[in-house]
Amino acid sequence: MKKIKKNINLKRRNFLAGTASIAGLAATASVIPINIANSNHSEGSKGLPEFISWKDRDALIVHSDKGIETHRSAIGESLITPNRNVYIRNNMPTMTDAQIGNRDNWKVSIQGVKNPKTFTLAQLKKLGHTTIATILQCSGNGRGFFEHKVRGSQWETGAAACVLWTGVPLMAVVDACGGIEKDAVFMTSAGVDHEPTGLDPKKAMVERSVPKKVYKDAMLAWEMNGVPLPNAHGGPLRMVTPGYFGINNVKHLGKVAFTTKESSVKYMKSSYRISPIGKKGSQYPSCWEMPVKSWITRPTDETGTVKAGKVQIVGVAMGGTRKVRSVKVSVDGGKSWKRAKFVGPDLGKYAWRQFVLETSLTSGTYNIASLASNGRAKQPELRMENRRGYAHNGWKDHSVNITVV
Amino acid sequence: MKIAKFLLIIFCILNFNFQSLLADEEKMAKGLEIFNETAGCAACHALKAAGSDANIGPNLDTVSLTEELVKEMVTHGLGVMPAYGEGILTEEEIDIVSFYVANSAGK
Repeated sequence: MKKIKKNINLKRRNFLAGTASIAGLAATASVIPINIANSNHSEGSKGLPEFISWKDRDALIVHSDKGIETHRSAIGESLITPNRNVYIRNNMPTMTDAQIGNRDNWKVSIQGVKNPKTFTLAQLKKLGHTTIATILQCSGNGRGFFEHKVRGSQWETGAAACVLWTGVPLMAVVDACGGIEKDAVFMTSAGVDHEPTGLDPKKAMVERSVPKKVYKDAMLAWEMNGVPLPNAHGGPLRMVTPGYFGINNVKHLGKVAFTTKESSVKYMKSSYRISPIGKKGSQYPSCWEMPVKSWITRPTDETGTVKAGKVQIVGVAMGGTRKVRSVKVSVDGGKSWKRAKFVGPDLGKYAWRQFVLETSLTSGTYNIASLASNGRAKQPELRMENRRGYAHNGWKDHSVNITVV
Repeated sequence: MKIAKFLLIIFCILNFNFQSLLADEEKMAKGLEIFNETAGCAACHALKAAGSDANIGPNLDTVSLTEELVKEMVTHGLGVMPAYGEGILTEEEIDIVSFYVANSAGK
């Protein structure tokens, strides 16, 4: 039971309400309870919130206990981002083991299908099994580069990760329910992490609609990089919508519905809309498909200065909903470009590719940029200005300055 | 005469500081009340100074806040957080609670 201080008595409150001029503190320390349980978001010993105390503090930038970014240099040393380095962006508090209970008994209902059903996690595991690699990226990744005053975590490059998910293809689940209802237009997924808060579901439920076609590649995942899906990342069951921004990959999944209309909750209707600065509303596009994007991960100024001579410029590149085709790298702020080489395995169009450009640098300062293309679209030079700082893929802001000695 | 003038100046300075200190103390007291009761920020946010450890919104002790930023967030809301500037709090109340949070966070 959480408790809050109430240092002001009623007489004082009336007095405050009636006049702007008041005497100093005449505190009467009493305590009143509020029926919202706190459990796992207290600050841990490592400077990380307790619910993610297992993460690597050195790899992370803490914006808040619900917004934790991966350092640029902690992303691209291998193709898959280890769980301990993966960013955190929560709209609701992470559910606890006690709230989740027996993981195999976790329930998800499937609606908008010919035979609506509710499956337990144990039942889902019998319907099908696969592993896919996708990029998980917050809609606001890159927000920190916007120059107008944007509310929210000031992410630069690290609200993104490349993750291996294991679970059941949604197609298999849909087949087990007799197929999708004919008039469905959207696939709508809802989490249940708002339930313990007691807040109004219209305002607090994370329910997201995406175009129905997404179900063909989507999966219901219970493993992340080879371990049971951590609660902090939406365990025990999460919707994975490949190629779509993180918010659509609904955590603590309780419902998947094929619907004729988009969800009317706040997180669908008004939040996550890409609108011009100074304007907002549901008429603007939702944060759905991710655009083509890349950024340099090494060498960066986080690792100090770079020795003159041969240098490996490393980064990650993604094609959004299409395969990334090429990456060019510039060491002179975009005046000239050289094609980089993809390295490491190709884990499919929804994973990112690592790229390397080997070059020689003499002492001086350099601005290093990368520019990816998916064959149909390439990164723009500049960001697309928008109110909430979403979907930034401009190459210029994502460039890094290094000093070679 | 010179001594009297000097004393008067000292008195004025001290009085001015005292007044502004008092004003800040009043704002902090009212800010606490708004935080815990009028607006109910404590239902969602942890803030040690207010005795709150709720975990729906970010822990205000672990984020770096300026008064201006708090004012912006309180006025316009974000995600599940309501826009308190749209008929829930007065402008004066928003000023006071923003002053309170910015000066209490991490303490």
